[in-house]
Amino acid sequence: MGRQLLLTSLGLTLLVILILLIKRRFRLMAERYQHTPARFPTTKGLMVFLLPLPVLFAAIGALGRGNLSNLFDNAVCYGLFLWGALLLRRGLRTEADYDRRQVAKAPWPLKTLGSGVIALATGLTAWSSAHYSPLMAVVFAGLALLGCYLSYGFDPHGAKRFTDRDGVDSTDRVIEALAQAEDSIAAIERATRDIRNAEFNSRLRRIVSQARQILAMLEEDPRDLRRARKFLNVYLDGARQVTEGYAKTHGRVTAPELEDNFRRVLTTIEEVFKEQQQKLLETDVTDLDVQIEVLNTQLKREGVI
Amino acid sequence: MPDFLRKFIGLLLLFATVGIAACQAMLVSCSSSLPALSSMLPH
Repeated sequence: MGRQLLLTSLGLTLLVILILLIKRRFRLMAERYQHTPARFPTTKGLMVFLLPLPVLFAAIGALGRGNLSNLFDNAVCYGLFLWGALLLRRGLRTEADYDRRQVAKAPWPLKTLGSGVIALATGLTAWSSAHYSPLMAVVFAGLALLGCYLSYGFDPHGAKRFTDRDGVDSTDRVIEALAQAEDSIAAIERATRDIRNAEFNSRLRRIVSQARQILAMLEEDPRDLRRARKFLNVYLDGARQVTEGYAKTHGRVTAPELEDNFRRVLTTIEEVFKEQQQKLLETDVTDLDVQIEVLNTQLKREGVI
Repeated sequence: MPDFLRKFIGLLLLFATVGIAACQAMLVSCSSSLPALSSMLPH
């Protein structure tokens, strides 16, 4: 029995080392080709979905034997594992969003909640399905919680606040403006699905992609929000209204003028969005120029150069 | 503690707790089904 346990632990250790090495290798390979800001890795948090699979097999076995109480125990435990893993993964995604943004509210403690549910599921499985003593089940739950904390950490605390040039805290205003813009983009995407025209669809897809790029720039540096107010309040909202209106009417009315007008509007929107993007990039370059100039003057004054 | 080591210990703990509890649950489920199977076999 002792020998079997030793072998099992040795096997598990080797498996963990192998998984970590493979993940590290993949990350290094991905970084070599990655120029855009890091997105949420799709494999993160998947292990907590895979580890409890034997509980599902146990539930299926109990179903095959017609053992109702065993089936109920295993099904509840597996359901809890699944719920915890989903919460944890959602928490990881929210955390990645929080890390990416310069201005953000503190996220819901989904990771902590998920870890707690996984710990509860582990304890319950150990006690009800694996027939360990209640004390041992508590130890299992505690160690699982510690494992989740060490592997994935707990949720970030505190909002990332933003103060404008006048010293006013405008965190809520920035978050609201960005959320509204995100809603408008989502509405354009929904309306695009109702439009049965390949040319318009590709134009709208380009517009959505440009709008997302501008939004990403605003998220990175919310000071640009003042300059992009017209884009957010007039153009983006206008693009949404026009697209939704066209999506509603084009199925009922066949008017070539309507299509021509819509095509013209889309071309204008594309140009305006491109200009807006360029303007934001130029502002960044100007800001960098000013910073370099200031640093240069300071260094000259101090006799360094 | 280095990040790599922290994650390694965390994964090890998860494997040891969730993995063992789940496998043990499956083993208990399988072992309780053995008498049922043996009763079906011809004597």
